[in-house]
Formats: sequence, C-alpha cells, structure tokens
Amino acid sequence: MSLTKETKNTLSWSDTVELIDNLRVDEVGLKERVASLATRSIKKDSKLQALNYIVTMCDLTTLEGEDTEGKIGQMTAKAIRPDPSNIEVPSVAAVCVYPALVSKAKEMTKNSNVKVASVSSYFPSGQAPLESKILDTQFAIDQGADEIDIVINRKAFFEGDYRKMYDEIVALKEVCSSVHLKTILEVGELRTYENIKKASLISLAAGSDFIKTSTGKISDGSSREACYLMAKSVWDYKEVTGFKAGIKVAGGIRDSKDAIRYLVIVNEELGSDWLNPDYFRFGASSLVDDVLKQIKKLKTNAYQSGYYFPRG
Amino acid sequence: MNEIKKTYKNYVGGKYLRSESGKTFRIALKSEFYEVPLTSRKDVRDAVVAAKKGFTEWQKLTPYNRTQVLYRLSEMLEGNIETYQQILEDSGLSKSKAKEDTKQALDSLIWYAGIADKWEQMTGNLNPVAGEYFNISHQESLGIVFTLNSDENSLNQLLLNILPSLVTGCSVISFNGDNSIMALKLAEDINNSDLPAGALNILSGKFDQIIDDVSNHVEINAMAIYKQLPSTDKKIIRENASKSLKRIFINPPVSGLESLLPFIETKTVWHPKGR
Repeated sequence: MSLTKETKNTLSWSDTVELIDNLRVDEVGLKERVASLATRSIKKDSKLQALNYIVTMCDLTTLEGEDTEGKIGQMTAKAIRPDPSNIEVPSVAAVCVYPALVSKAKEMTKNSNVKVASVSSYFPSGQAPLESKILDTQFAIDQGADEIDIVINRKAFFEGDYRKMYDEIVALKEVCSSVHLKTILEVGELRTYENIKKASLISLAAGSDFIKTSTGKISDGSSREACYLMAKSVWDYKEVTGFKAGIKVAGGIRDSKDAIRYLVIVNEELGSDWLNPDYFRFGASSLVDDVLKQIKKLKTNAYQSGYYFPRG
Repeated sequence: MNEIKKTYKNYVGGKYLRSESGKTFRIALKSEFYEVPLTSRKDVRDAVVAAKKGFTEWQKLTPYNRTQVLYRLSEMLEGNIETYQQILEDSGLSKSKAKEDTKQALDSLIWYAGIADKWEQMTGNLNPVAGEYFNISHQESLGIVFTLNSDENSLNQLLLNILPSLVTGCSVISFNGDNSIMALKLAEDINNSDLPAGALNILSGKFDQIIDDVSNHVEINAMAIYKQLPSTDKKIIRENASKSLKRIFINPPVSGLESLLPFIETKTVWHPKGR
C-alpha cells in the first residue's frame, strides 16, 4: 500500500478507503482470543498496581439532564481525592461532563492534575448539522475543556456515506487542534465486528487522538471484543502512519475484575506503552467506587461497603 | 417406580445454586446420605451482593405488604407440611413430636407475619420535650443481617432464627449446618411466596470455614448467632466486627417483640409544632 502521510496523524480519504477496503474479522478466533485473555490470573501485588492504574485512567463521568453545578462540584472533589482516608490513591485522569458544566468543572480542578473532558457534537445521538456540532464543540473549548469527546455520524455510517463521517471528524478535529479529540463509535449500535473495525479506522484516519467505545446511553455498552478490535485497529494504524492513538472504553464497566481484563487486552495487544492515561482511559461513573473498595480490601483483608467512600 | 432423589442447593438472590467451589458435605437422613453445598467464602460474598439488592427491594414494600408476603409463606408451608414432618422424622423425631413442631412453626410464622406492620408503632414513640417541637423516635431496619442458625432438628427453631430480622425489613443471609436440609427445603417455599429475590438467602456449610470473611465483611450490618459457639469463635467474631460498625448478637431472644429489637435502629426526628 502506498500511503502518503498528510499531517502528523491523519490520512487522506483515498488512503483511508484503501485501509478499510475488504475488511474481514474472524469472529470465532476473536471470541476465543478475548475469552482466553480473560482467564489470566492476577496475583495480589499486580492486582494492587492494576487497581491504582485504573484509578489514574478513569474519566469520572456524569452525563445526565439532571446534572447541576453542585453535583459537578461533588464529583470533581472525588476526582481529585478519590479516597480521602488513603492518600496513596491517585487522582483520576479527568472528569467528563456536558459543555454547559465545563466552566464549573474547570474552576473546581484548577489546582489539580485532573483534566476536564466535555462531550460535544450533539452527544449522544449526533443527529445535528455539522455547523451545529462545530458550534457545540467550540463552546466547550471556549469554556476551557482539555479534551473533547465527539460521536461519529452513525446516520452517515449506516447509509454507507463513510466519506461524510470522515469529513465531519476532520472538520471537528480542526476546531480541536489545541485539545485532545476522542471519537465515540457507539459499538453497541454498529452491530458487526467489521463495522467496529471500519469505524475505528475511519475515525483514526480523520485525526482522532482517541477512539472510544460507547456513549453509555444505550444498554449495549462497551465489550471486551470491541476493545480488542479497537486495539487491533490502533495497532494497524500505527503500522501505517507511525501514530500512536489511544483507546477509551466506556459504558457498563462497573467492577474491578472486568476493568482488569481490559487492561490485560491492552497490554497483550498493544504493549505496556499503552498502559497509562495518555493512551488508555476508562469512562465510568461507578467503576471507581468498586476499585476503591477493592484497594481497601487488599489493605485490610475485609470486604468493603460503599457507604464509607465519597459519593459523586 | 424409582424414587427421584433431590439435590439440595443454596438459595441466593432468588436462585438455587451449587457452591461455586463445587464442594459438598454430607448429611445423613434416615438411612440415606445427602450431599449439600459446602458454602465457600466466595459464595458468602456473592450472597452479600444479592442481599444488598434484596434489601432495597424488601424495603420498597410497605410493612402491610410484608405481612401479606409472610402470610403467603405460611400458606405455602402449610401445603407442604407433611414433607417437613417427614424430614423431622427422618432426622430422628417421633411422629407426634414432628407434628407438634410443624404446628408450632406455623404459629410462629403467623405471629411474625402479623407483627411485620405493627412493630414500628410498638417500638417507636413520641418523646416528651420542653420546647415547641415534636420529638419522634422513628424506627428503621438495620440492613443486611447474617444469621447463624441453631442446629436443632426443628422447623420452628429455624423460623425463629430467620424471622425476627426479616420482619423488621432487613435482608437476611441465613447460614445453616446440621439443619441444612430443612433450611434448603424451606427455600423452595420462600421462592413461592413473593419474597423479593435476595431478601432471604439460605446457605449451608461449615461456619468455621467462613467465620473470618463474614465477620470482616463491612457490608454485613449485623450478625445474629443462634448457635452455641466456642468462646474462641466468639472472640474472633467480636474482634473482626469491631473494625467496622457491625453489630454482634450472641444468642439473642427468639420470641416476642423482644426478638426484633436487635435488628432495628432508632432515628430521632424533631419537628416544630408551634404554639
């Protein structure tokens, strides 16, 4: 394949077409590999390290119509100091909120390392004209967002208009030139493994810094199979362009055991370079609670209850 | 026709489960042996997760509704009363004693069903205060209760170990040893009585294998020990429980309103009443 690298991390449309042409995914092999990776036994010391990693990789998220500044205040306090009784527990990577609440989150996190991510481009459906999506995104950036989570144009994708989906991401990347761009595929709606891989590659080629599994707004959230395919896409894309993109898994990851299995997939398929918040994130609201419980369990040998940890 | 032998299983979160460890232990009934689940530490933790959900659901019902559910349990129990009598006889009771025990069990159950919507007004009250306020002692249920049931060959005793915490609206993890067959049989009628899944979970096994996990588990709010335990075990339980705010009740009362008191908590409410 003769590919021309246009900028640091994008591919031209014609090169992208070549990349997604004739995609095939071996479903049986995929499921078997993912299942075998889930059987790894993680011993106590490694488990503690994994749990601490997970905290540093978390985007503590609230994306509800009922979100208020008070709620954001509570959540950012928790993001900065997840377990006030144990200062060894690190801060999370970021808080993830709607654009209207970015300024509040920014104000709350100004003396910390916690970044502020904002969803935009008419999250979660993305059913709006590109002009509106650009305005939505620009507003979030103006409010101070460090990272932007957009959704792909699923309408265009399912209508077979991949070019439109690609162009939209390119246009939004232009707006996001100074911030991190994460592109949400909504794997639960993509239906086939080929679609997941195709959407991953198009999103990467259009300039996404991260690809993200789900909005968390539909019942089929993230799956380990989707994460595996996205990891493969990131690897394939790196082979072509040399660009290292990140992955964010979100939607339905509630317990530590499940989260550790995601780390195993990333470690095995992409390597330990990806095991840090610059390249791997969990988008979650309740995962941190379980991780904190497990960390304390490892320390005290007693299984914990949620009411001894901060809410938010 | 050959008799179909029953495999007794744990009852957790509304489901009949084998131990995740696959282990069993043996209980002799008449001339036959039964293999019942030997509950592992992981099974206990799973039961706590189920009980946590069960607590929320059991709390959602009005006390009057809880009465109806327990009354329904007594209907189920009465329908199968001969099976219970048979288990009692097979474990060594005489026919008349077995009959007497099941009769008492039904009476106990009806009494506790009746008190489910009355204990709160019997234990709470309006307190006299010198001010323009009402001061009310409002009663609430404690949360998740672990009961270590007595080994006595008696359906009545079994119910008297389970019901006091259950009627106050707590969710219960009921742990049984030698009396496991009776308890696991009871699970079938519980399942048919509209009790929300996880409100009452029934496990069988050896207590000394799970003593540390149970007494350390912060999510369990209280332990009620209805069985005679060696003082070393009591010491372990008390020490572990002291690390959280877990209540420990060793051989608490098993009848009357008194039997409910350990499982309720008082919240004091102040309300202005004006002149």
